[in-house]
Formats: sequence, C-alpha cells, structure tokens
Amino acid sequence: MRYLRLYLCFLRFSFSRAMAFRVDFFFRILMDVVWNIVNLAFFWILYQHTPVLGGWTFDQMMVFLGGVFVYDAIHMTVFSSNLWWFPIAINKGDLDYHLVRPVPPLFILSLREFAANSFVNLLVAAGILIWSLVRYPEPLRLFSVAVFLALLAVGVSLHYALNMIFLIPTFWMHSSSGLRDIFFSLEQYVTRPYGIFRGWLARMLTTILPFALVVSFPTRALFEGPSFSLLLHMLGVTAAAYIVMLTMWKSGLRAYVSASS
Amino acid sequence: MTARLLWNIFSVEVRKRMSYRADFWINSVVGVLVSLSVFWFLTYALFSASGQTMLAGYTERGMILYYVFVALMGRIVQSNEMEMGISQDIYEGSLTRYLIYPVSYKAVKYAEQAGSVAPQLIQLTLFGILAPLIIGIPPEVHITPASVAMGLTSLALANVLHYLLVIPIQAVAFWADNVWSLLVAERFAIAFLGGQLLPLGLFPEWARAGLEWLPFPYLFSFPARTLMGSVGPAEWAFGMVIALLWCGVAAGVGRWIWRRGDLEYSGVGI
Repeated sequence: MRYLRLYLCFLRFSFSRAMAFRVDFFFRILMDVVWNIVNLAFFWILYQHTPVLGGWTFDQMMVFLGGVFVYDAIHMTVFSSNLWWFPIAINKGDLDYHLVRPVPPLFILSLREFAANSFVNLLVAAGILIWSLVRYPEPLRLFSVAVFLALLAVGVSLHYALNMIFLIPTFWMHSSSGLRDIFFSLEQYVTRPYGIFRGWLARMLTTILPFALVVSFPTRALFEGPSFSLLLHMLGVTAAAYIVMLTMWKSGLRAYVSASS
Repeated sequence: MTARLLWNIFSVEVRKRMSYRADFWINSVVGVLVSLSVFWFLTYALFSASGQTMLAGYTERGMILYYVFVALMGRIVQSNEMEMGISQDIYEGSLTRYLIYPVSYKAVKYAEQAGSVAPQLIQLTLFGILAPLIIGIPPEVHITPASVAMGLTSLALANVLHYLLVIPIQAVAFWADNVWSLLVAERFAIAFLGGQLLPLGLFPEWARAGLEWLPFPYLFSFPARTLMGSVGPAEWAFGMVIALLWCGVAAGVGRWIWRRGDLEYSGVGI
C-alpha cells in the first residue's frame, strides 16, 4: 500500500512535468505513431508477397504486432526513462541519495519516472491490439486471450530484467554505452516473430537471450493454446532472469564507490 | 584557413571515435551481426513461404547482400549522435560559443558529423569485402570498380542530403523544448521509405513510382543498389540529379527556418 501511494506521487509529478513541456509531449506521441505505422506497413508489404510468414498468417501477425506495440508502450511509459538515467546515477554518485531512502533503491530507480507522454501511446497500442483481436477471422477463446495478456505482462517484466542485466555492469565497467547499444540491437529480436528463426539462434532466443519470450511466446499461446510446457518455460526463464538480475544488483552495490563509479 | 580548420575539426572527431576502439568494434560487430541475422532469417522465411526464387529482382542471397550493404552504408549516411546535436546546442545555449568561429556553424557541425562517421568506412570496406565472400555473389549482383566508384559517390551525396534534411528538424529547437522525438521519428520514417528495412522493389508499384521523386530512396537504397551494380549509368545520373535537387530544397528550407529561429535565439539555454 505504501509503495502504491509512493507510485501515485510519482505519477502526479510525471504528469505535471509532461504538461510543462507540451510540445515535446506531442512530439513523443508523433514519434510512437510513426513507429507503429512503419511496423504495420513493413509487415503489410511482406504479406503482399507471401500468405504466411514464420508460420503466421497476416491476421495472426497483426495480433503479434499489437502485442509488440503494447509491450513497447508499457516499457516506454514505465521503465524506459528510469533505465536511461540508471547508469548516470551510478557514474555521478546520485545513487547515494537513493541508498539512504527508506524504500528499496531498485524500486525508486526503476519506477520513479513515469513517461506521461508515452502513456497516450499505450492507449493507441491497446487500441491496435483490440482491433487486431476483434478483426481476427476465427473465434478466439476468452481464456486464451486472458492467458495471452497475462503472458504479455510476464514478457514485459522479463524485458525489464534483461535490460537491467545489461545495465548493472556499469558498476564495474564505468561506461554503459557499449552494453546499452548492444541491448538496443538485440531488441530487434523482440519485434520479429520467433517462427522465422531457426537452429541455434532460435534456441538461444528462448534461453540465454530470451527475447523471443517477450511477445512471440504469448502470441503462440493465443493461437496454439496455452500449453503447460510453454507456461513453465516462460515463467522459469523469467524467474531465472530475475535471480541473475538481483544477484548482479547486490554484488554491484557492494562494488559501488559513489561518484567515482 | 577555413578548410584547414574544418579538416582539424574532422580529424579530431575521427580520433575521438577511434579512442574507444573496443566499444567501436564490439558495437559495430554486434550491431551488424544482429541486424544481419534478423534480415537473414526474415529473407529465408519470406522466400520459403512465398515459393518464389526471385523477389523484387533479388534471389535470397542477393537480398541478404543488399541488406548487408544497406546496413553498412546506413552507418555512414547518418551519425549516431543525431547530427552532433545541433538542437541541443540551440536548447542549451551552447550555440553562442560558435559565434566567434571564423566559419559557419553548420559547416563546423558537418565536419564533426563527417568525422564521426568516417571510421565506419573501415567497417564498410572490411565487411563489404567479407560479405560477398561468405554469402557468395549471386548472378543478379555485378560489383565492378565502376559500380564501387559510383556507389561511393552516391553514398557521399546521401550523407550530405541527410545532413541537410535534418537541419530544418533540428532548427525546430529554436521554438520547442526538445526535438529528440522528432529526430527519432524521422529516423523511423527514412529507414522505411529509404529501403533500409525492406528493398523498395517489394513495395507496390504506385509507392515505388512516388518514392522515386522523393529524397528517401537516395539515402540508403540507391547507394547500395549502385554499389551492387543494379543501377545503370542513365538511372544513376537521374538519381544523382534528384538527390542534388533535394539537397538544394532542404538547404533552402533549412536556411529559411534557421534565419527565423535565429531571431528567437537568446543564448540563455536551460
């Protein structure tokens, strides 16, 4: 309850700040809309040349894309700004202030900034997802849709953990730009359907670098039915990612030497 | 004096880039490999599902080679730092310190931008030689000394064109607090319309016909296709003229917006 109250304060401040920079507010919305249009057009063009891609029809791909937009919008709204400042807080010693506060520093560092301007995009993304589900030509079971949405939430939290795993080494490396750029590159695997990948890369994308689990696996659960093995796989990998992240975080804190980090 | 100063700015920027060699190579190799793997699997999935052997004038290997060149050349067309943060200079007031420079601010920024992308030529050369050896050269690709020379010339023009196209967007910072989102939106749009995400040959006929007259294909698709020998001399000359015309239009619009913005500039910053 205490954390919820604190988070509501974060929300209030974030909306006030967003309203103070109104032009930027609309530019951010424009940026997200352009990204959505580019992705929709990308797959629309591909499907002009083939009826199926990575095992999915155009209608299934639209649902996958809806999932991609929702995952991206949640990440941009809730985590993105915070994770941008995270390595800077370590390097400049700003982490000191968070360490002495009576709430876990990871909570503040991960959730303090709520991107109100991206929140509008979350509504747009949710709208596209609903549209893609409604226009889907075959009947979808309500239970499957519920599992899809729940797994999408798990996927978003897995993505957060993976992002943190790539940022926490700043405690030792003193520069985050290299790892951050690598993570940005790897994120491409989230936005493309898992079905196109083959061999060792496909195996890697579901285990060591589980980017395929973020949106592709929830979409598979929707169309193929939520199997026990798929649920176990997603939850197991997500739990493992959190264990790795928290272990790294704790050992990172031990290595932290304030401003000289 | 002016040329020497710009050369110094250019070479300082090159040295700055090369001082973080590990970052430079790790990021480049990982970035290229990840993009290439996505394109590779997407291309194979597209060809195997469509049952075609040729799409948009390319075989599977030809299309992958196109992606390799478009990815490598794209790193030379645009810099990672959003054209060296012209908008940031305006917003923070650091534009003021350039007022005492004996050369134009935009020329200084272009020299910095060119210096920041110049090291990418090493990667273009290295991976550009390795890729055809690894992937193989399909029959529709004809890389010759002439196609390389024409491709590199169109690449140089593409770099100038992109720089001129973003100046009007950067100049919005004279009125707005932050134009970062606009620049990112511009990157999404040109990547798609310029053929960085998909070969433009896959686009519907009406879209291709329209795009031919716009500046976007001349940023990525045109230099890559030229290098691969897919563009004849007449088409190349036509493309270069269109690109040059767009350079003129973008420079004119940029100058007009800049003059108006200059009147708003107070030099105070945030």
